[in-house]
Amino acid sequence: MDKVARLRERAKELLEKQEVVGVLGYRASSRPGISQVAFITRPEEVDRLIFDSACSQNLANYLLKVKDKGKVAVVARGCDSRSIVVLLQEKQIEREKVYILGVGCEGVVVQGEKSVACRSCRYPNPVIYDEMVGEEVHFEPETVEDEFDRLTPDEWWEVLSAEVARCIRCYACRQVCPNCYCPVCFVDASMPALVGKTHNVSDNIVFHIMRALHMAGRCVECGACHRACPMGIDLMRFNRQVAKIVRERFGLVAGAKPDEMPALTIFKPDDPQEFIR
Amino acid sequence: MKVFLKSEDLKKLLEQFAGAGKLFAPVKKGGYSGWARVSSIDEVVLSGAQAVLQGEEVNTRKPAKVFVFPQSEVMFEFDGERAVEVTEVPEVVVFGLRPCDGRAMAFLERFFVENKPEDPLVRERREKATLIGVACNSPAESCFCTAVGGGPHEGKGLDVLLREVNGGFVGEAVTEKGEKVLAGFPAPSKEAEVEAEKRRQEAEGKMALRIDLKRLKEVLDKGFNSPVWERLTLECVNCGACTFLCPTCHCFDITDETVRGKKKRSRVWDSCQFTLYSQHASGHNPRLNPAGRYRNRVMDKFKYTVDMVGELSCVGCGRCVRVCPAGIDIRVAVAEILEGV
Ligand code: SF4
Ligand code: SF4
Ligand code: SF4
Ligand code: SF4
Repeated sequence: MDKVARLRERAKELLEKQEVVGVLGYRASSRPGISQVAFITRPEEVDRLIFDSACSQNLANYLLKVKDKGKVAVVARGCDSRSIVVLLQEKQIEREKVYILGVGCEGVVVQGEKSVACRSCRYPNPVIYDEMVGEEVHFEPETVEDEFDRLTPDEWWEVLSAEVARCIRCYACRQVCPNCYCPVCFVDASMPALVGKTHNVSDNIVFHIMRALHMAGRCVECGACHRACPMGIDLMRFNRQVAKIVRERFGLVAGAKPDEMPALTIFKPDDPQEFIR
Repeated sequence: MKVFLKSEDLKKLLEQFAGAGKLFAPVKKGGYSGWARVSSIDEVVLSGAQAVLQGEEVNTRKPAKVFVFPQSEVMFEFDGERAVEVTEVPEVVVFGLRPCDGRAMAFLERFFVENKPEDPLVRERREKATLIGVACNSPAESCFCTAVGGGPHEGKGLDVLLREVNGGFVGEAVTEKGEKVLAGFPAPSKEAEVEAEKRRQEAEGKMALRIDLKRLKEVLDKGFNSPVWERLTLECVNCGACTFLCPTCHCFDITDETVRGKKKRSRVWDSCQFTLYSQHASGHNPRLNPAGRYRNRVMDKFKYTVDMVGELSCVGCGRCVRVCPAGIDIRVAVAEILEGV
């Protein structure tokens, strides 16, 4: 039985036995190349569920929207499951109230090409799940060159300025990210205002740097923000670099190990950085 | 007034504007086309009339509204005693906007200028802009201008409409400004006019969607508390992509800044999808639930602006359909509303 058929079958059983109040997954949209999120609450609707390379959104983000409805089943790939781990670590959701239907993922495809984030993905399979639906997936991740390593700080600034100059501050990147759940985002603070509201490069860069820093040790590099950006800004450039610094300096990967605490909340006696010890 | 411009004539005409530094047109920007000041006509991404990007002939990512209502602009500076107007509005020639964006311009004029009190910045920007639109011969799958009362060869809101035919363009002046641009070109041949007409019909034929706008309005008039909003809204993440890129969305926020001693008051685009949009000074926010925000967007397009200024504010450009990170299609939402409210 293929993955999608199995997924529908399990969703149906879970709903019929009332083990969950709903199943969070994907359904087809009216457009090619992008799916829509589905929250299925009736067994007769499970046939709408799909899982393919157009499933662009990170469902952990939607978990926050439906978590108050009761126990919810959620379809989770590697990245979604890592986001779930981060949300558990940050006490935004309760483990008993989520039933994770794990799926292996070959990567999201955008405009006929594997999405930037997915090319270097090291976690195509969920790191935490209640059951696996279908087989695990294995592929060799591509190495993405870390351009920042060979740039001077001035060159960095140039690269970043050029990248964010197109930003229209629509905050789609923030809205689709499971880790951007602050009740008041720093860009929305108005008394006092923390970030200028115009879209000139200096205001934009402050937004982008603060966003990236808020993601340190939390971003799972799912790429949802990059795919959401209507202006084609490569947010993975920022995310990848921040994740790399966290990996090198703290020896940690966001959401990779359910029983490990996140980088910015722990102290390790064997921290790789000398000055802390 | 109708004329015929051979392809070389159009190029020469545009080169004049480009030479004067006034020409703005779509250029390629990564995976989409966007507005830029052009110095050489070769940068313009209109292959004839349409740019082929992402496998589809699609309109510019940012709408042409940026020419009358930029994302951020300084309204005035404050010298300690009084407001000083500092924004100098340049003369621009915008080439290559599509009929939907033209129609959106007409809407913005109606909303900001005819609807008193007028907005002096929008009025001045529109006055100083010459809009040379190009009719669409191959609309994209996501286009639906005909369903909301427009059309791929419509000139409303433009100064000049160019309709591509073999060997050149049939040009039509929509305004006096447009007549000046086209002055001196010969009248089109009968064949050229017939061909333009044929292309219009073909283009219209590609857009199959029909929306019963009258019924939609009636349904929305009664549908404020409908459960359909909750159902439609789970997927929407309330970002600003659809509103910011919509050619008619016109909400703005006002912000004060002191930059190197200069006190400035600016306005910046705002979006009904943001929680801050409806935040009261008291701290109360009447529209905290996401469904209410999505409802506002749909209501605004098909009801509120009709009540306010007598015009729909969806021109069917399809931008929101193309950019929504949640895969939401306003055409589907409208169909569901018609079925379900
Ligand atoms: S989604 Fe893109 S355009 Fe929108 S705020 Fe984020 S980076 Fe800027
Ligand atoms: S910042 Fe982007 S890549 Fe990182 S977790 Fe959030 S949506 Fe995913
Ligand atoms: S409809 Fe799409 S683009 Fe618009 S606010 Fe919702 S998620 Fe964003
Ligand atoms: S609502 Fe969507 S389709 Fe209609 S004018 Fe705005 S962006 Fe275009």
